[in-house]
Amino acid sequence: MTDRRACGGHSARVPAALATAAVLALGTGCANVPSGGRVVAGHAADRVEQADDPYVRLIPAHPRPDWSPAQVVAGFLAASGGFDDGHKVAREYLSAGSASWNPGPRPAVTVFQNWQPPQVVQQNGDSASVQVAGDRLGRIGGDGQYSADPDTAVETFQLTRSPQGVWRITGLPDDARSGLLLTKADVDRAFRTVNLYYFAPGRPTLVPNGVFLPLVTRHDLPDQLVRALLTGPSSWLGPAVKSEFPEGTRLRGRVALDKDTATVDLSKEARGGDPDRMSAQLSWTLRQLSEIKRWKLQIEGVTVEPRPTGPLQPVRSWPQNAPDGPEAEAGQAQPAYVIGAAGSLARLAGDQPQPAGLPPNRLVRPAVSGDHQEIAGLSRGGDQVLAGALANGTAEVHTLLTRRDRRTRFTAPGFDRDGTLWTVETSQNRSWLWMRQRGRPPVRVQTWGLGGREVSAFRVARDGVRAAAIVKIDARYQVQLGRIVRGPAGPTEAGSFLPVSSELTESVDLAWRDFGTLAVLGSKNNDKSVLPYLVPVSGAAVSALGAGALGVPKTITAAPNQSVLVGTQAGTVCRQTNPNDQISEWLCSVQGSDPTYPY
Amino acid sequence: MQRVRRAARRVLAWLRRLLRALYARQRRSIQLRVVTSTLFISAIVVAILGVFLTQQMTNALMDSKVKAAGVQLDEGLSTVRGQLTNQPDAGGRLNNVINTLKERSGPSGLYEVYIRDTRDSSFDGYSSNELRAESVPQRLRDELRRAPADSTAYTFGRLTYNGRPSEPGLIVGGKTPQFELYYLFPLTQEQHTLTIVSQSLVGVGIVLVLLLAAIASLVTRQVVIPVRLAAQGAQRLAAGRLEERMRVRGEDDLARLARSFNDMAANLQEKIGELEDLSQVQRQFVSDVSHELRTPLTTIRIAADMLYEHREHFGDPAVGRSAELLQSQLERFESLLADLLEISRHDAGAATLDAESLDMRDLVLRAVGDIQGLAERKGSKVQLQLPGEPCMAEVDRRRVERIMRNLLVNAVEHGEGEDIVVSVAADRDAVAVAVRDHGVGLKPGEGQMVFDRFWRADPARARTTGGTGLGLSISREDAQLHGGWLQAWGEPGAGSQFRLSLPRVAGAELRGSPLPLVPPGAGGRALFAELEAGE
Repeated sequence: MTDRRACGGHSARVPAALATAAVLALGTGCANVPSGGRVVAGHAADRVEQADDPYVRLIPAHPRPDWSPAQVVAGFLAASGGFDDGHKVAREYLSAGSASWNPGPRPAVTVFQNWQPPQVVQQNGDSASVQVAGDRLGRIGGDGQYSADPDTAVETFQLTRSPQGVWRITGLPDDARSGLLLTKADVDRAFRTVNLYYFAPGRPTLVPNGVFLPLVTRHDLPDQLVRALLTGPSSWLGPAVKSEFPEGTRLRGRVALDKDTATVDLSKEARGGDPDRMSAQLSWTLRQLSEIKRWKLQIEGVTVEPRPTGPLQPVRSWPQNAPDGPEAEAGQAQPAYVIGAAGSLARLAGDQPQPAGLPPNRLVRPAVSGDHQEIAGLSRGGDQVLAGALANGTAEVHTLLTRRDRRTRFTAPGFDRDGTLWTVETSQNRSWLWMRQRGRPPVRVQTWGLGGREVSAFRVARDGVRAAAIVKIDARYQVQLGRIVRGPAGPTEAGSFLPVSSELTESVDLAWRDFGTLAVLGSKNNDKSVLPYLVPVSGAAVSALGAGALGVPKTITAAPNQSVLVGTQAGTVCRQTNPNDQISEWLCSVQGSDPTYPY
Repeated sequence: MQRVRRAARRVLAWLRRLLRALYARQRRSIQLRVVTSTLFISAIVVAILGVFLTQQMTNALMDSKVKAAGVQLDEGLSTVRGQLTNQPDAGGRLNNVINTLKERSGPSGLYEVYIRDTRDSSFDGYSSNELRAESVPQRLRDELRRAPADSTAYTFGRLTYNGRPSEPGLIVGGKTPQFELYYLFPLTQEQHTLTIVSQSLVGVGIVLVLLLAAIASLVTRQVVIPVRLAAQGAQRLAAGRLEERMRVRGEDDLARLARSFNDMAANLQEKIGELEDLSQVQRQFVSDVSHELRTPLTTIRIAADMLYEHREHFGDPAVGRSAELLQSQLERFESLLADLLEISRHDAGAATLDAESLDMRDLVLRAVGDIQGLAERKGSKVQLQLPGEPCMAEVDRRRVERIMRNLLVNAVEHGEGEDIVVSVAADRDAVAVAVRDHGVGLKPGEGQMVFDRFWRADPARARTTGGTGLGLSISREDAQLHGGWLQAWGEPGAGSQFRLSLPRVAGAELRGSPLPLVPPGAGGRALFAELEAGE
């Protein structure tokens, strides 16, 4: 501001020449960028979603007339990774006869680690066979569900030479006929994992269903998301969740985006569904797109008005359907419980353990139900599961389960948000899942997917549908994710366990931090030291948690928006100094062990 | 189509009318002319300036953009060189490089990246986000292909995308021995800046031009208004309002003009006043003389009458003859005196109109009857051409009769015994009487002089005949007193005609005469004695 005055302000009576000079100075000198001035405050972007990350597309090359059969196959495999214009370029590699090949917008994909160079195994005259060998990792189904299926595979392509003298593919291998053959790099580049949200049966809680979606263009992502949501959950989660959208509901046209307001127009079948629940599913799904701040639900062009939000729904509405529960969505803090230095249960107020009134040395690995009414734990030897009421600062426990023989032990028990208590009884090569609904005797879940393996930890997610477990596979303790199918009378099946991440080689304990992330004590890359990590259930990269010395961590617990707590062998409980900063330092000032957050 | 054409024609016609009106106004107003030319010239200057400024701005913006882009590209190229050159397997790591490069592009929309492996022909490289590979124009690829290794190039083009509209952009490219790397910078922000700048330039230009026009209008107004006032003052001065003066304000050129104008007006007024005073004195003198002569003349007249009555008793006939002569000259003297008195009354502005509504035919008939005897003596016959209906007019009976008598006597005297034609006519506004004789007529220029005082066609002619030499002058004064005209036409050998035109209503302005000044059938060149009494 002061600079400007120096240029402009001249007193009235100046000779003409001076005035001209002043005008010239005004014209040239005052066109400066400011070099000082007041501080202007602003807002950081509201949120950054994974979908906003920049991405890279492969540009397929058109086949050249002089290419050999092997080059044509290599070009086809490369072009399969480019999703532009519905694989138009890849189709150019095919002869006219197989031009009906069309992988579609959500193709099934066979994923390979990498390819060996194509080999011509047979060539006579105008036909040739080309083989490509590679390490198959698994498959992504048409519903976006990935399933591992590691093997060494050889794919054979048949080619013929056209009358014009160019080689074209006439015969595709089986895997490629209805899908794509892509390398892991192609999948990493072209696919995104997104969450589709479905309802846990009988409850208002939404369950995220992570699926792979090919990212053709960023602008099509809203359409893709809504279409995928309407198509239904993937085969993995399908039996365990319920979609509110009636069968046959379609998206009419596209998701219209006007500034930050989207309009989702559904076909008339949607009239059969509950608008509130459909809105909740769509809201939570559309949350992943930062460009949408508000949205409208229409059925056949008529705007629907859900009661809690009105016609224009903020994308952050429907907290009562949050996968982590409404309390976590509202950011309410919950006090943690630890086993204090004296061996009794204590409630953690700040860094001070307050006795919660339980006789010392009765139990370890406590679990507290979400309503603070019930407590459970293991006996010191791990041979019994104890449970009791936690009321008015006094607690009394009784034995709930006792192991069947000396070779088995129980994993740390845990509640889910219904108050159901879960624990796994495991031996070296077998395991059984126990559950106890509140007010009923404990029962064994009949269908248990990990029955033939040792399980060292088992935690049900806050949505009550998904469960994470540490399973011993090939002498390694691996984190796996499964789902619990509930019948009318209660849980009937827990299975379909899939590995979450291959990065952690040894895992010790785990807890659900929020619906998308696990806090896991484990070691990475054959490193011996065990450290806490954040493991996204989507399969994205694992990231280390916290900084500084931690000793030897033994147990871990986590809750949304709160510090991850780690119990160490030295008898201290460590917490992060800042719960929202992933790399903030560990503070080990609480004497105690086995921290737990109520579920 | 027809209607459109008609509308267009109407608009064109309207425009033409407007332009013509403007042009006409412009011819009449200095101010408008100055404002128009200021508008026109300043608009041209501002337009040129605006184009120049925008050009400069564009160049500066693009220069800085190209420079920044070059720096970005160099950084990207060094990343490519560092990560892709020293290791054997390039295929997998190309992915890592493109991932590194893309991290820096992204939703900020700063730039997009396109990288291409020239040695791997199985695919055509990678591009970031929605960018299509066609955005890199062939000319740039060709240029880079021909260029030596480690060189860069740039061009401007259109960036095309999947699923969103294309936009103008700057494309820079560089190559390492194996890779071609292109950075594509959208120029929407720059376009936006330039649009804002040019819009404000247009706005400022319009305001500036209007301001200049307003200034020009104000300045010319300061000059034009005094000039216009001076022109009005001069006009009023010319119209005879000698007391008119300009207001003198300040000491500038216009004040000097006003002062000189006022001096001139004062001088003029003074001189004209002197002249008026002089003629006033003369008229007074004539009037006084006439009055003073009257008293002795009355005495002389009594004596002369007595002598005349007794002329038979004088022994010497020569004395009787002298008495007769005395008598006639006295009569002439009396009438001369009466005429002088009358004309001095006119000169003094003391003559008053005693108007009444009369039929002109009656007046003419009576006047003709009065001179019938004289005409017969001269051998002339008076022909009358009178309209059938009355010709009513508000006239002073005495004065019109005097005019008629003067005209008729004049016609008889110069009629050479030929016939005299008296015609009367009337229209809506006026009545006219024409007296035509067929005497010697008038020479060119004499049509005006006949009304001069004491003018005679033939100076040698004795003053014994005819009147006093003031008759026609008095007649003309009488006609003018009515607001009418008295005009003469004549041609040597063809006789002459006098026409009296009077408005029907006393004092009304006369626009034309019901009778022609030149009698019909009078051959030869018409001598126009344009003697409109009003002028």
